[in-house]
Amino acid sequence: MSYQDSERIPESRIQAWRRYLRFWRSNADADVADELRFHLESAAAELIAQGMTPEAARAQALQRFGDLTAIARTLRTLSHEQERAMEWRDRFETMQSDLRFAMRQLRKAPGFTIVAMLTLALGIGANSAIFSVVDAVLLRPLPYAHADRLLNLKERNGANDTDGMFVAFGNYADWAQRVHAFDSFAASRWNGFTLTGAGDPRYLQALRVNAGYWKTLQIPPSLGRYFSAREDAPGAPHVVVISHRLWRDSFGGDSAIIGRSIALSGVPYTVIGVASPRYSLPRVDAWTPLALTTSELAEHGDHELTVVGLLRESVTSEQAVAELTKVETELAQQYPHKYFDGGIIAKPLRESIVGPVRLLLLILFGAVALVLLIACLNVANLQLARAAVRRKEIAVRNALGAGRGRIIAQLLTENLVLALGGGVLGIGVAAFGVRFLVRNNPLGVPRLEGATLDAPVLLFALLVAVGCGVGCGMLPAFRASRLDLQQVLRDGARTDSATLRNRLRATLVVCQISLAMMLLVGAGLLVRSALLLQHVPPGFDSRNLLVTDIGLPGSRYPNDSAAAARFDEILHNVSSLPGVASAALVSRMPIVGGGGDCNFRRDGAASEGASFNAQFRVATPSFFETLRLPILRGRNFSSIDAAGAPRVAVINRRFAKKLFGDEDAIGHRITCNDPASKNAFWLTVIAISGDVHADGLSSDIRDQVYSALGQSPQYELSLVVRGAVPVLTVAPGIRRTVASLDPLLPLGGLQTVDEAIGSSLAVPRFTSQLLSALGVLGLILAVIGIYGVIAFFVAQRTHEIGIRMALGADTSRVLDLVLRQGVMLAAIGIAIGTAASLMLTRTLDNLLYGITARDPLTFVAVAMLLALVSLIASFVPARRASRVDPLAALRDS
Amino acid sequence: MKDPSVALLQGSLDLVVLKTLTWQPMHGFGIARWIQRLTESALQVEEGSLYPALYRLENQGLIKAEWRLTENNRRAKYYRLTPGGRRRLAEETASWERFAAAIGKVLGATEQPA
Repeated sequence: MSYQDSERIPESRIQAWRRYLRFWRSNADADVADELRFHLESAAAELIAQGMTPEAARAQALQRFGDLTAIARTLRTLSHEQERAMEWRDRFETMQSDLRFAMRQLRKAPGFTIVAMLTLALGIGANSAIFSVVDAVLLRPLPYAHADRLLNLKERNGANDTDGMFVAFGNYADWAQRVHAFDSFAASRWNGFTLTGAGDPRYLQALRVNAGYWKTLQIPPSLGRYFSAREDAPGAPHVVVISHRLWRDSFGGDSAIIGRSIALSGVPYTVIGVASPRYSLPRVDAWTPLALTTSELAEHGDHELTVVGLLRESVTSEQAVAELTKVETELAQQYPHKYFDGGIIAKPLRESIVGPVRLLLLILFGAVALVLLIACLNVANLQLARAAVRRKEIAVRNALGAGRGRIIAQLLTENLVLALGGGVLGIGVAAFGVRFLVRNNPLGVPRLEGATLDAPVLLFALLVAVGCGVGCGMLPAFRASRLDLQQVLRDGARTDSATLRNRLRATLVVCQISLAMMLLVGAGLLVRSALLLQHVPPGFDSRNLLVTDIGLPGSRYPNDSAAAARFDEILHNVSSLPGVASAALVSRMPIVGGGGDCNFRRDGAASEGASFNAQFRVATPSFFETLRLPILRGRNFSSIDAAGAPRVAVINRRFAKKLFGDEDAIGHRITCNDPASKNAFWLTVIAISGDVHADGLSSDIRDQVYSALGQSPQYELSLVVRGAVPVLTVAPGIRRTVASLDPLLPLGGLQTVDEAIGSSLAVPRFTSQLLSALGVLGLILAVIGIYGVIAFFVAQRTHEIGIRMALGADTSRVLDLVLRQGVMLAAIGIAIGTAASLMLTRTLDNLLYGITARDPLTFVAVAMLLALVSLIASFVPARRASRVDPLAALRDS
Repeated sequence: MKDPSVALLQGSLDLVVLKTLTWQPMHGFGIARWIQRLTESALQVEEGSLYPALYRLENQGLIKAEWRLTENNRRAKYYRLTPGGRRRLAEETASWERFAAAIGKVLGATEQPA
């Protein structure tokens, strides 16, 4: 920048024009130049006055000034800083005044404010609560050190097998030796213990795990250490790692527990560590070494292990599964007919844990999102109604110079205030909702206990609130800002824009009705399915039955006959208790416990011939009588079916049909081994029983093979008792009886069978209840919407109605006119809602029992409910309209 | 040009500028001349360095600028003191006087350090 040759420049017109422009937008750079030029010119003028030549004067002035270029640059920077600061201050001040204005407006309409805020609070609260659950269950990583590298591994049994089998001992051992794509494997199997010597005898859920378990699912212990490979071997000293919960509850959180010996089912174990409390899934009390024996390691047909692999860092899961499949295929060739076909079913560990509840949670999330949408539409509708009232106010502000942008900004600010207020209340609603869900956890959702109102959830609530504020404010704000000034101020009360707004509001109500329809159809389907489920007969009489688990520890019952004798005594003594109608022992109680599976073939079938999967249960002769499970043909088990006698089986009717078709099954033999093998284990069918829903009422009938307890010795059995009196009153007697025989035996999982059925139905019941609640909420909001629009319609038409009545229209004509509006809206909403529901409810298909997702009854019922409710909602304003006093109406206008 | 003149420190320049504006609004050139005349050129202010000081003071809200016409009918940017600037001047003046008095005492001391 140089002023050396600049003459004294007169204020040119152009510069004056620029000043004028600066009024609108200051030009900082030009200001700096002007100011410096003024300085230099003044200084030069002074020197000229002292007699210098103009050139010398300018040179002198410039020299005295210093480094002109650098200073000008500094000044430009400084004035830009100043300008930015000013802009921010301006913006902030505008926002503040908008905010104050919004608060004032809302205070002036307390009814509207309260309704709108509560509506939004419910919507935002429900969404935040469900989001917090979704976050805790689906989104958060597992607590393990390398959670993203963990794969749950199962063996495939046949091309149609999508769930996979647990892993056979021998196969796991081969994987561990031959597969290199994994850093380590965690192998575990369930095990139960009785803890004695720490308060009352207590049943412990335990896992037998390999040493690699701790390396694979890595979380440092709270106390002590986990066990090493040396301790995970047969014959090694007994060690145990206990859970944080057990340590706290049974040992008072005493750190002296390390090194102490505790009695598990009568055997001393040394406690070497307390696991981190973050090992919360599955719920385990204690871990002991897996210590597979040589004979277990040679076993390839007994699938018992849950296996999780930790991928090597540089290996992808596809590569790892490919390598594993190669080994598995070789194993399948080496050991045929061992219930695995060489395929591997691998899932990320998190997926294998939360996969089953994902759909359920997403459906809930979808439902609450619909509720929120309805709530937002309601608020938008209320705002439109208010805008009608505020047209004058807005027109005046517009006339006073507020531009369209300013008016929209102000209206949006008002909505944001509303929505944020709703959001704050909504967080309260969410806190309540989360507490309710966590405390009940009726779905048995894993990891749900981690759901809290933490930062991500609060952020979510904030975003939803802002989204609602902008979303439901945008439409009314734009609409309100687009007013014909003069028309409004001239007071054309019934203008085109009024009908336009009416049409807009009607559209919003139609949307609400169709959304409510979707919600209600979803809820209706689930309710109907839950009702149907409750009435499914289980196949036996589940009333007044009690079931409890008894496990005889091998340490004190060294052989089969000792165990059999003790079970005999227990059954005998319990059966003779007063109040007990009959009692039985069974290896796994249908519905309450699962069942071991086996693929059976009939006699005469080829080794490679078709096999049929059935559950295998061992039972006493009294089993059928106690459950009132009918024996349709043949004879019951009896004392002749003892060890050494030909092995016998009772099978259910459907299974008999599958295996033998129309042939009589009785007298035929079945096996779940290779029929060609010399060592095949054959059972002769002696009777056909009724079918049972052994996996729960919502599952299909499972086929069953029952074998006589006398021929298949057991150490763990369920005791089933049918009461002659309400069976729970007999429970103390049963406890005493068992304790008198062996005081160290705990009764595990004592409950009535109806309770067990109830909890197996908890998921559908809870889902249907929750969705119904959301459906009702949506319905109420939609009804408010209809009511609002019809009432507004009536208010707008008072004049017209007055004229009609003055001209002789009677009350019923007026009623008809108004009701028709409501019915029209409802009809369109229901039509759209039906179409949308038909598309949406397909996602529910897997959750429904006994009906399809297009169940006509549900659709019709919901449509009628909506139509009825809409009619009632429009009836109230319609009656008001029919009572209009024509004189008053005409005078008012 | 070294001796009788004193290089002005940044903080002191701010103080001088604020003081200059206590009587009336002035433009940058006027401020420069006033300082020169009053101190009889004892304070060697490079005229250009005055401006960054003025801009900073403005950004701090201690002075405020506006464009006006001079007696000669030329457009010039005038600075005036804001109430905040007046307060700051009072504070700075007081602390300057304490400082000057303290230094003066030390330099005028006759007592030998113990």
